[in-house]
Amino acid sequence: MIEFENVALRYGEGPEILKDLSFRIEPGSFHFLTGPSGAGKTSLLRLLLLSLKPTRGRITMFGQDVTRLDQDRLLELRRHIGIVFQEFRLLDHLTTFENVALPLRVLGQPESAYRANVEELLTWVGLGTRMDAHPLVLSGGEKQRAAIARAVISRPDILLADEPTGNVDPALSERLLHLFAELNRMGTTIIIATHELHLLQKFRFPRMSLEHGELKIDD
Amino acid sequence: MTDLHFGRRNRPAPIVPQRSVSGRTLMLLVAIMTFLSCVTLGSVVLVQKSAIAWSADVGRQLTIQIRPVEGEVMDSNLRTAVSLAEATPGVASARALTLEQSQALIEPWLGKGLDLSDLQIPRLVVVELSDPAHADIEGLRRDLQSIRGASLETHAAWRQQLNAMAGTVVISGLLVLALIGVATVLAIVFATRGTMASNREIVDVLHFIGASNRFIAGEFQGRFLLIGFRGGLLGGVAAIVFFILAGMASHSVSDAASGAQINVLFGQFALGFDGVLGIAAVIPVIAALTAITSRLTVRRFLNQIAS
Repeated sequence: MIEFENVALRYGEGPEILKDLSFRIEPGSFHFLTGPSGAGKTSLLRLLLLSLKPTRGRITMFGQDVTRLDQDRLLELRRHIGIVFQEFRLLDHLTTFENVALPLRVLGQPESAYRANVEELLTWVGLGTRMDAHPLVLSGGEKQRAAIARAVISRPDILLADEPTGNVDPALSERLLHLFAELNRMGTTIIIATHELHLLQKFRFPRMSLEHGELKIDD
Repeated sequence: MTDLHFGRRNRPAPIVPQRSVSGRTLMLLVAIMTFLSCVTLGSVVLVQKSAIAWSADVGRQLTIQIRPVEGEVMDSNLRTAVSLAEATPGVASARALTLEQSQALIEPWLGKGLDLSDLQIPRLVVVELSDPAHADIEGLRRDLQSIRGASLETHAAWRQQLNAMAGTVVISGLLVLALIGVATVLAIVFATRGTMASNREIVDVLHFIGASNRFIAGEFQGRFLLIGFRGGLLGGVAAIVFFILAGMASHSVSDAASGAQINVLFGQFALGFDGVLGIAAVIPVIAALTAITSRLTVRRFLNQIAS
């Protein structure tokens, strides 16, 4: 599903943030992406999200060399990828329901077509009673669950998460990880960037460790 | 809860929030630009209408001037001039101004209360044309050569000057309109960039969830079209109110002595149906200009982000 071949990334004329990354991620797998701050986890996630192009090397996703695709084709592929951020990035002027439905609205679907699915998903992530609340009145855990729901509502093949438990307490972190694991069991390929050791120890999924721009995979 | 659900389901909130400082600022700016455009357009229409009316009035009139010449009897010459004029094809009527009327004409220069009976002043015959296009003016001019001291004034020079002045005002007005248009476009570009910068988070989120630039531009364009339409409507209505108030003020001035001269020079200070129609046409033009300019600016902004 995802294949990196000698991929490197640098910003402008600066040093290489990522160096000669070569790895393969199979469909339906679950990986943790770990490493100290500044190791390049977010940059690697942005490459996987197709919002950055590598300085050199080749990235193959969904059977296509994404380094050669134009902007429109990249946007089409991005619809197969969900993303969850540490800082949630929900739109404050929209309700929880509207935030979660946003990817479907962007696809041009009428509300009548997706209403039941969004309500079902929100109930599944425990936000069934918070559908009309705006993000400003949601707790950190509720915001993160809404962000996860938004990332998966369009049934993406790949789900990326950048420190999704960074702003929630340990108990809620574990609950969120169970949610990701459940999504993975339903067939979604998941890559979670985190440096929380207790999660890595509790959930025994393969780790991709980034350090000084180099990647090591422990199965 | 149920009511809230019902409200939400009926109409999802716009992706780009309607209320923002730059939105209100832009609406005010569009309203001001629309007002200026409408006032300029209305003024051009008024000047052109007045010039056409004045030119037509003046074109229907000729003046025969008879200077006092020693040995000539003025009253006899006036009668001859009137007869010659009335016999000319295309002339509706001719009348000699009385001595009092002639004195009244020069009163503004010499003042009131003077005894002008000893002053030899030229006398005038006013000739009204029934058909200015086919009147035999040259024939009348030839006939008048038989009267010593007589000359024919067709006001052609005045009309030329008036037409030239009206043309200059119209061209200047169009130039001002073009400049207002350019200023509007530039202001919209800056306001749009500001709005995009302040809504960068929304743009980024939309990109992350796979929205195309076309979709994002459409969301912003919809909002700017609304702002442009509201601003245009506000400015257009303000301009119509301005012309109504100016017309009322003009009427009140008309009662005074100078009002008559203002009316002669500028005509009635009323736009008429076509003027109001012109102002109404400015509103969708401004709204479209706002929408198109903002869309192009948004697309450029998004392309810059992508690169």
